[in-house]
This record gives sequence, structure tokens and C-alpha cells, in this order.
Amino acid sequence: MSSYEPGDHPFARVGREPGADTTTLRASVAIGFGSPSGDTGVTRLDLNDLLIRHSQASFVMRASGDAMREIGIDDGDLLLIDRAIDPVHGHVVVAVVGDEFVCRRLSRQGPHIRLQATRIDCADIEAREGMTFELWGVVTHAIKALPA
Amino acid sequence: MFALVDVNNMYVSCERVFRPALIGRPVVVLSNNDGACIARSNEAKDLGVKMAQPWFQVRHLERQAGLVALSANFELYGDMSSRMMSLVGKYAPKQEVYSIDESFLDFAGVPGNLEVIGREMRARVLQWTGLPTSVGFGPTKTLAKLANHIAKMADRSPGSYPSRYAQVCHLGTASRAELRSVFEVTQVGNVWGVGRRIAARLEEQGIHNVLELMRADTAMLRKQFSVVLEKTVLELRGTACLDVDHEPAAQQQIMCSRSFGSAVTEISGLVEVVSQFAGRVAEKARQQQAAAGAVHVFISTSPFRTQDRQHSPSATLPLSSPTADSRVVIGAAVRALQRMYRPGFNYVKAGVMLVDLQPESQQQGVLDLFAPGDAQGSLSKASAPRLMAVVDTLNQRFGRGAVSVAIASNFNGGTQKAIAKQERRSPRYTTRLDEIAIART
Repeated sequence: MSSYEPGDHPFARVGREPGADTTTLRASVAIGFGSPSGDTGVTRLDLNDLLIRHSQASFVMRASGDAMREIGIDDGDLLLIDRAIDPVHGHVVVAVVGDEFVCRRLSRQGPHIRLQATRIDCADIEAREGMTFELWGVVTHAIKALPA
Repeated sequence: MFALVDVNNMYVSCERVFRPALIGRPVVVLSNNDGACIARSNEAKDLGVKMAQPWFQVRHLERQAGLVALSANFELYGDMSSRMMSLVGKYAPKQEVYSIDESFLDFAGVPGNLEVIGREMRARVLQWTGLPTSVGFGPTKTLAKLANHIAKMADRSPGSYPSRYAQVCHLGTASRAELRSVFEVTQVGNVWGVGRRIAARLEEQGIHNVLELMRADTAMLRKQFSVVLEKTVLELRGTACLDVDHEPAAQQQIMCSRSFGSAVTEISGLVEVVSQFAGRVAEKARQQQAAAGAVHVFISTSPFRTQDRQHSPSATLPLSSPTADSRVVIGAAVRALQRMYRPGFNYVKAGVMLVDLQPESQQQGVLDLFAPGDAQGSLSKASAPRLMAVVDTLNQRFGRGAVSVAIASNFNGGTQKAIAKQERRSPRYTTRLDEIAIART
């Protein structure tokens, strides 16, 4: 048993063996209608594998507003949030402020934590006495639906 | 060495993940139809709210003490449970999911300081899922369960036990003197498998605390009580009588899960297993005169088959009215399975759990206005108890499985329209796209 080191066994695995020869995998073509997980170990690309690093820590929320538009997050976008990632300065995070979730960029200077919008006319959010203020998770992707 | 991990006040903790403003406030979760308190935060316990207490009896605390009451959101609890279970399952070679919020882990052969590992595991579950847990280690399952109780109490009421046991308690490395002092202040009723009735009878014999129970004569216990209690005492003394996947009769939860001999990839195989398990739990519920408000189903791949892609989903389906009818339970379990199954994975384990259990007699007659005439006809409520009694008798006489529910391809086990009164239910944040949380941007 050596599964205590998070680095040893990534919890959400991508669809191929670590260390497998990727070039041969790329070159091989699945022919026929067999099971997608046949002998070759080739599997169809799966968005779960591509977008989700830690499945047990992943949550989905919906963005509402336009204060993060400059970074590409529009009203109605789906936000993928990974709680397993330690938030650092510069990350886009979801935080609990009072009784709502707020999506902002994290600015951390020493002990000072501020949540900044990308829109310039939008005031920073700071922790205040008597108000719930808690970093909830790191936003890893924003998924945008295009007209199709 | 065994561990028992469980989530503190599971249902309330799940609600608090998405509403952190509820942290520190008294919160209760209400059963189906908002009838009774089935989960309480520590603050609600301190207000004197009792387990299963009818809501109307404590309703005044809403205004007087800021008590927050929420309708049960079993889809949310089921999903959060499966996240927590699959996280802790990585820490030990063997896992037994014991209830929606408890898991035994068998650490046999695992090197290292288990207390350190336990604290790391607790921190990870808290960060990844937001759920606070307690972890107890012991050389037997009964001791692990007791250590878990100590870990929880040491955290919740400082002074009850030494503070070093808070959150994570390892009885396997404690000295004899430490064990003695801990066991001396623990009442027998806190021991796994010692119910209220047995505890009262033990008290009559002058056995009040765990230390006295450990020192009791096992032959006497077997004669006057049962073999089960004798085993419990042997386990308290450190002799393992129970394996992972080997549980004493439980009354609080009804669960059936097993690892398969070989991996199953096709849905037909899973349907067979899941419906068999669902039939078993429904039968167990009838034996206990209990009815379930929801069915929780999980399937999982093996984290130890590292060459395999992993998929360990779970789903919880609420039932329109509490029932122990095999046909309804199996129908719901199979629909839950169909919803989460994905082809191409090697599943090695499945389980079915009945949640929101309540005494059969407590069921209120709910007029099922939305039940379609025909479908409901085949599942007529009036005839159900008699039919199920016949099924149970036949199975007892001719062996389990003599009579079972046929799963037709279009089986639709009674349409479960959500007519249960759930006025205070929070959004199903993790299982319904139209109910996910909004993040203000």
C-alpha cells in the first residue's frame, strides 16, 4: 500500500496508463464496434478525464453577472470548481461571502486576502467582522455554451 | 488495525457545505413529509432537540432560538456520501461502507503511524468535500467504533475525554492505564451492539461502564444475554471476532453491499446484483417493521486495479411515501442504477442502502393523487403487506431467492412522483443541473 502520497496515484486518472508510450497510442486506430476499453487500452476522449482532476472534490456552479468578463467568464457560464487545489494568489476562486457564493480573482499579500473583480469599477471584497468569508474552491474551467 | 470513519452530523454537515452561514447555528433536518427531526447539529442537540422528535414539538425554537429546519435532501446526502467514501477508501486495502456516513477500513499490513494517517485523511475529506469527520482506530471493529465515539465526544465536549483524542483517536497505541481511565468514564450504552435494553439490564447487574463490561464473566454474558454480547466483550478485550464486511445485526440502517468475485461491465449483470441486494434490504426492513423514505445505490470500480479507469458513482432516489415493498424498492434501485451506469468500466462492488428509515406504524396515509391508475393497480398498497408477507414466508421455507421480483425491461416500479411534502428542501446542488449553486460574478 503506497496510496498515501497524493502524487503517487492521481485520484482521477486520465484515460491511459501513466508512462505508456503515447505515440503508439496516438497512432493506433480503433476499428469496428468493439468495447471502447478493448485490448489496446485505447479509450475515447472523455471530458471527465480532461476537465476533472479530483472527482471527489469537483463541483459545478453557474456564473451570474459580468464582473469577471475580462477573464472570459460570462453570465450563464458553467464553472468547474476543484476544492482539492490550495488557492494561491492569482487563482480564480469561489468564496462564500455572507450567504452567497462569489466568483473573484484571489489577491493575497501577506496576511491580506482580497477578492478582485476583473472589471475595474467593481470594488474589492475583504473579510469583515461578523460576516462569513471563506474560500470555497478554485475555479479551474469556465464552460461557455455557444449558439449551435 | 481497524478504523471507523464517520461524518459528524452527516445531513446537517452536507447542508453546511453549501450554506456555510449555517455553521454555528442550530440546524435540524426533517424526515419525509417534514414530520420528525432526523439529524441535528450540535447546537440543536444543546437546545434539547431529541433524535426523531416530531417537528411540531420543537417548532417554537425557530423563533425563540433561531433553529433552522430543512427538509431532507437525500440526493445531496447520497452524492456527498459517495465522495467521502471513495476518498477514505484509498487509505486502506479493505473498506466496508457501513452506512451512508460511516465506513470501516481495515489497515492490516499498512505501515506508518496510523494516527498521522488518520489526521491526514480527515484533513483531506474536509478540504475536498467540506465534510467534517471523526476517525477511531482500534485492533477490533468494536474498539474502532468506540474510539470513534471518543474522538467525537472529545471534540464536541472538551473535558469529557483528553483533548489529544479529539477528532482522531487511536486506542491501539494507548497504554493500559490510558485505556482503563477512558473505559471507566464511558457508559456501556456507547458500545457498538449494546442497545438501550441490554444496557439497562447490564446496569441492573452492576455493570455501568466499559471497564466493568470488559471484566465481566463471558460465560455469564453468553448465558444471560447472548453470544453476540460475549463477542462484543471479547472484541473490547482486543480479540477480533468481526471482519470487515461482517457486521452484527444493525437496527439503525439497512444496507447490503458486496464485492464481486470478478469485475462486471455490462448493465445486465449489475441490474441482477442490485435488484438482489434491493430485495434483501427490503426484506430486512420488513423484519424490523421499518419503512424507507429513500433508496441509495452505489457501484464502484477498484482503486487497486490501477490499470483500470475509475468510476464510482452513487445515486439516491426518494420514494413518494415510505415503504418496504420489495417491488418499489427494487424498481427505484434499478432506476438509480440506470441513471448512473456508464459502459466500459470494470465494476467490482455494488451496494443498496435504505435511508430515512422510520417505523412502519409511523407512516401517514398519503393519498397518492398522482399515481396513475393502471401502474398503481399492480402495486396496490392495500394488498402489499399481505403479498410481502407471503414472499417472506416462501423465502424462509424454501431458501432465499425462492420468490423474487422479476425485472422486466420496461419495469417502472410505481412512478415516484415527488409528492412528499418537502417545503424546506435545499437545492440538489450536485445532482441536478437546474439546481446548481449560483456564483455571483
